[in-house]
Amino acid sequence: MDTRTAITELIHRSGLIMDKCDFKGYLDLCAPDYQYRITTYSPEIRKDMTWLEHDKAGMKSLFDNLHRHNSDKSPISRHINVCLVDIDEAAGEADVTSTIEVYRTTLDGGETELFAVGKLYDKVALGQDGPALRSRNVRLDTRLLGYGYHIPF
Amino acid sequence: MSRNAVEWKQAPSFPESHYVDTRIYTEEDIFLDEQRKIFNKCWIIACHESEIPNAYDYRTFSHPGGPPLIVIRGEDMKVRTFYNICPHRGNTLLYEPVGNAKRITCIFHAWSFNAVGDCIDISRGKEGYQDRFGCKDAGLREVKTELGFGGFVWVNVDDDSCTLKEYIGEAMGMLEEHLNEPLEVFHYHKAIVNTNYKLWHDTNSEFYHDYMHYFNRITGMIQPGYFDRKYTGYPNGHASVGSMAIKYDAYEGSKARGVGWPGLAPGGWVLIDIFPGMTYNLRTSVLRMDTAIPLGPNKLLIEFRGLGLKSDTPEQRAERIRDHNMIWGPFGRNLHEDLLGVHGQGLAMRERTDSRWVIHGREENMTIHDEGGMRHFYAEWSRRMGRKAYDPYGEQTAAAK
Repeated sequence: MDTRTAITELIHRSGLIMDKCDFKGYLDLCAPDYQYRITTYSPEIRKDMTWLEHDKAGMKSLFDNLHRHNSDKSPISRHINVCLVDIDEAAGEADVTSTIEVYRTTLDGGETELFAVGKLYDKVALGQDGPALRSRNVRLDTRLLGYGYHIPF
Repeated sequence: MSRNAVEWKQAPSFPESHYVDTRIYTEEDIFLDEQRKIFNKCWIIACHESEIPNAYDYRTFSHPGGPPLIVIRGEDMKVRTFYNICPHRGNTLLYEPVGNAKRITCIFHAWSFNAVGDCIDISRGKEGYQDRFGCKDAGLREVKTELGFGGFVWVNVDDDSCTLKEYIGEAMGMLEEHLNEPLEVFHYHKAIVNTNYKLWHDTNSEFYHDYMHYFNRITGMIQPGYFDRKYTGYPNGHASVGSMAIKYDAYEGSKARGVGWPGLAPGGWVLIDIFPGMTYNLRTSVLRMDTAIPLGPNKLLIEFRGLGLKSDTPEQRAERIRDHNMIWGPFGRNLHEDLLGVHGQGLAMRERTDSRWVIHGREENMTIHDEGGMRHFYAEWSRRMGRKAYDPYGEQTAAAK
């Protein structure tokens, strides 16, 4: 598999594996120095906002604590479309830009609603064992998220 | 023992101040009455001064009583508020939530207004209205505006209202010394939930629901001092909750807060509920402000703001943002749980579900699990509405006669 295809598959896999709530599987796709953020811009206060920010250990704690919290159990589905893959062979990295749509499906009746749209800005480490996620910025266009959600996108 | 239909409908065996009829959360006529008698009479937070720092900066606000508003800073740096309604054909004047407008021009027919509410131009006015009507007749409707209590912009659409200071009274006493430094909003988001605004304010007025929050149970409820926190009620329906030392590092993946707040003890947490739907929530390093804007009896828009000190270094601000979002952001541990709670109440109490009563019966010497904060709110609600919260249509009173 060529590098570009492997990177594209990694990004898509990261969404599908989170859809299954396979959090260990997700963390296995991440480099040790992984950084995750959810960000957006508020036109109301004219400021960039960071709504969630964790390193790999922080993401693991978040996942480990999920069962202790009361959460909306409606499953979500991440539809990711990889748009740009800029590979820097010398740095052993790639910058990847994707669009993301998140749908939420009710448990009772199975009605699906569009939950959020935005972009993924990923940095991918290119190692001998294949590509790994080094950082992810989920840049949301949607800011009205109803009663919210406990699991990161 | 389960109950049959008759037993289910029987009033709870508490004093009348200790329960409410759920129709106060669901009935359209009561909601319209609340807009008229409560929201259009009380001081409401429209925004924070840091959102409009420069001359001619404006911010729009959907007032819970109904009128759309423009909050604008004049050339004299005074903040004023006007209806966001063109006096000509009733069009919206400013569409964007924030901006800078030396001249407010209606897109429909180009009537223009300045930042003190004067009409300054009517296109082809003389030709159309001759001397019958002019700019002097077409000023914007101004709304009473005051800044205070942490730099918030308060509005009151009742021209005959008391002053903001009179309205708040002593209710902010526990926080005032912590709000002396200029503040800045760093977080803003809205949530729309199918529930009644009072149920959200109730959630901010009782801590018994900490059983819903794993984070609060671990870092607060099982820690020393938690059950010593007390509610204090104030005139006009406001209430405060005393502080304790939250043990943030008791939650896996969390740690003791590195940034504090002027005058607040480490790990401190003070909460003040302002009638009818605003809450100051100063939790160790962050001030959160909720503003409840009902859109209907069972539809609520909540504005959430997070504030730090204007003097923050970038490192301090980043830490406050992390502290805020860990529990209170849209992906935070606590906010989602609180919103799920009131969403569930909205589901169960909507019209024709045969929901009947909500009990506010806990008495624990006004300490943290006492439900006196809610009782205090509904006493004021009943006074302003001229309806008893436990008997909003006077049926019990009529039957007793």
